[in-house]
Amino acid sequence: MIKIVKRDQPSRAIFFLTPVLAIFLTLVAGGLIFYILGFKPFEALKFFFIVPIADKYGFSELLLKATPLCLIAIGLSFCFKSNNWNIGAEGQLTFGAIVSGGVALLFYEQEGFYILPIVILAGAIGGMLYASIPAILKTYFNTNEILVSLMLVYVSKLILDYLVVGPWSNPEGFNFPETRQFSDSARLPLLFEGLRIHAGIFLALAAVVISWFVFYKTYLGFQMKVSGFSLKTAKYAGYKGKKMIVLVFLISGACAGLAGVGEITGPIGQLHREVSPDYGFTAIIVAFLGRLHPVGIIFASLVVAITYLGAETAQIFMQIPKYTGQVFQGMILFFLLASDYLLFFKFKFTGSKK
Amino acid sequence: MNTNLKISNVTKKYPGCVANDNVSLEFNSGKIYALLGENGAGKSTLVKILSGVIIPDEGKIYLNENNLKLNSPLDAKKNDIGMVFQHFNLFETLSVFENLIIDSDEQREVLTEKINTIMRKYNFSIDLNIPVLNLSAGQKQKVEIIRCLIRNPKVLIMDEPTSVLTEQETSELFLSLKKFSEEGILIIYITHKLKEVMELCDEVAVMRRGKLVSVSEIKNENIESLANKMVGQNLKTIKKKKEKTSSDQLINITNLNFISEDPFETNLSDINFSVNRGECLGIAGISGNGQSELFQVLSGEIISDKNSIEFNKNYIGDLNPQERREYLMAFSPEDRLEQAAIPQMAIFENVALNNFKSSNFFNNGLINENKIKEHSKKIISDFNVNTNNIELKSQFLSGGNLQKLIIGRELITSPDLLICFNPTWGLDVGAINYIHETLIKINEQNKSIILISTDTDELLKLSDKISVIHKGKLSKIMDAEEVTSEKLGILMGGGN
Repeated sequence: MIKIVKRDQPSRAIFFLTPVLAIFLTLVAGGLIFYILGFKPFEALKFFFIVPIADKYGFSELLLKATPLCLIAIGLSFCFKSNNWNIGAEGQLTFGAIVSGGVALLFYEQEGFYILPIVILAGAIGGMLYASIPAILKTYFNTNEILVSLMLVYVSKLILDYLVVGPWSNPEGFNFPETRQFSDSARLPLLFEGLRIHAGIFLALAAVVISWFVFYKTYLGFQMKVSGFSLKTAKYAGYKGKKMIVLVFLISGACAGLAGVGEITGPIGQLHREVSPDYGFTAIIVAFLGRLHPVGIIFASLVVAITYLGAETAQIFMQIPKYTGQVFQGMILFFLLASDYLLFFKFKFTGSKK
Repeated sequence: MNTNLKISNVTKKYPGCVANDNVSLEFNSGKIYALLGENGAGKSTLVKILSGVIIPDEGKIYLNENNLKLNSPLDAKKNDIGMVFQHFNLFETLSVFENLIIDSDEQREVLTEKINTIMRKYNFSIDLNIPVLNLSAGQKQKVEIIRCLIRNPKVLIMDEPTSVLTEQETSELFLSLKKFSEEGILIIYITHKLKEVMELCDEVAVMRRGKLVSVSEIKNENIESLANKMVGQNLKTIKKKKEKTSSDQLINITNLNFISEDPFETNLSDINFSVNRGECLGIAGISGNGQSELFQVLSGEIISDKNSIEFNKNYIGDLNPQERREYLMAFSPEDRLEQAAIPQMAIFENVALNNFKSSNFFNNGLINENKIKEHSKKIISDFNVNTNNIELKSQFLSGGNLQKLIIGRELITSPDLLICFNPTWGLDVGAINYIHETLIKINEQNKSIILISTDTDELLKLSDKISVIHKGKLSKIMDAEEVTSEKLGILMGGGN
């Protein structure tokens, strides 16, 4: 007979093992789904997870997709660690892209080393501005940041839509919903000839290092940790709660904004309707799969990035919709939350008596 | 028909305390019984046993000579025992009617008829179709009562029912209860409010520290005699050595008010007091009378008017706890596990919660871990915390050791004033003594204490002056030498 017993304390080993377990269960469930759809499960999983990254180009694509996921998830972990639920990174990414895109368009057909830093900075500021809205509404008007940040996602997407169709659309672009191409000086350089991986990856790596330092070495990190465990204790210790809420939202917004910069100034080089395939939402999964730990987030972003690539290969080779990728992302989160049960409870196998 | 409820030799033990120690009681219908006692006296445990929430270790319960097996609240319901808890068990978003019928399997029409009859009979006027969240506390309580009455209970137990009611609602409730009693329902009324007992009840059973102290008729009692029984007459008042206290004023509170938006919190009105150097001001009261709010206002978790708190000749009413610490105040909250410390964090991390500029725990925004650890080791040895591993998560410390750590953390910076709230709550005797000795030592060093406590013994032992908080108001401040526990008991119950 199997009994479920409460653990005396959450298990540290299980804390890092459950993400692995979640991924394993996702593979099993995914295989099962493929089987039901009439595919050979192992072959399908191979198309989904192995084939896309089997060559140099595929690996570059993997890093390309993992970059924004990692960057945004790092930013989000600042919020999540301190009990602030920023669900609107997608909107902050979009707005960051709009602002940096706007600045890049100002420098249309101009060259100069100073342009790219300004464009990058503009993206970060755009993301921060957009993230400050839910933060300020939360601190001064007690609104729910989940709702506000989420709804602002759709606002930013409509603003982008308006701009690329209307005032910012390319005059020579035959009414395609996109802007003019940015000048070379406004673009993040590509790292290798023929591959799309760009310098944005360094921004992500920098964010990883900085966040590790902040989380574990600074007073801000300590305050975030305390607030994450107990807001009552944070209040008792006298931490300036409002300031911290605004600050973590700004950091999170800046990271999402930078991810937006990478998306438009990298391989694409212009603003268009679909800046991001929901990186901002998927990064929430990445943040939790990585246990809000900078190193964990690197691995999680790589794993989740595969689902984007796998979905595309599966569409090409197996004629199944690319939305399968989202099914896999959903399953990862689902199994992660489910296996978190093991953090607090354990199975105990007893004799067969009733 | 007569109802007879008998509790026979009921004992319930918890690790470290006996909540009910061989309690035997007998109740007969037609009378209203009061079950009186301080917090922790064991009355809630007894009531929970009667309503099937807790199963006693020993003892039996008889209803009309039948031995009842109460293994769950459902068993109590089946045996015609109805219970109205202090906090309501209602579904806020469902309508009154839906709430009333939710745990009944009778037919809708029958129930409607029953409910209407009850409402007419006892003059209840509640709109059955509106959601419960729109009701006042008094109306919600009526819904709970109707829900019990639907089942034609023989026994109705009311657990501190007036704590959320207005005066008006209270007298309405008393009228209804008297009517139920006339109808033959046996009523057991749990309270610590002496005035209500005198007004409503026919017989009173007093509990103290898990034991039944007395059963008597109300006509033979008065507020003083009941207070005596409740608090315990033969309390030895061990007090600290009284030095001549200084007249050097350290903190002065004037016209401090706090109005809460939360209906479960207590408003503070017109708080005025001052504490001199080297003095301990005790604030007594039954829990839930505004102590928690008072603590938060004093610690700065709730910010008030700048001029309402004068500390060491500075006005600090608008400062947060960290800023107040810089003025040499220290705080020890009631809730050790959820507020004063974080169980999941290491001991040294918990030490860093009390952060001064001069402690250098954080330099230029960076954690100075060596400094914190050094400091933590000092606290552990100075305050006898029984461990030498400062990396240990504080959840592995016993209550007493955790409290020593917290008090030590607050005191190691030698503050001028320590504000503590139930510092010995839930601790064993050894730890209590240690904390008491520590507090007495602080006073001897000419530092001051504000001690908010629900433990009267503790207050009489440690305080120089005592005031009682009742419904968010402070009584006049009395010299601890002249105060008796009976007098405190009366003031705590709202008497004069």
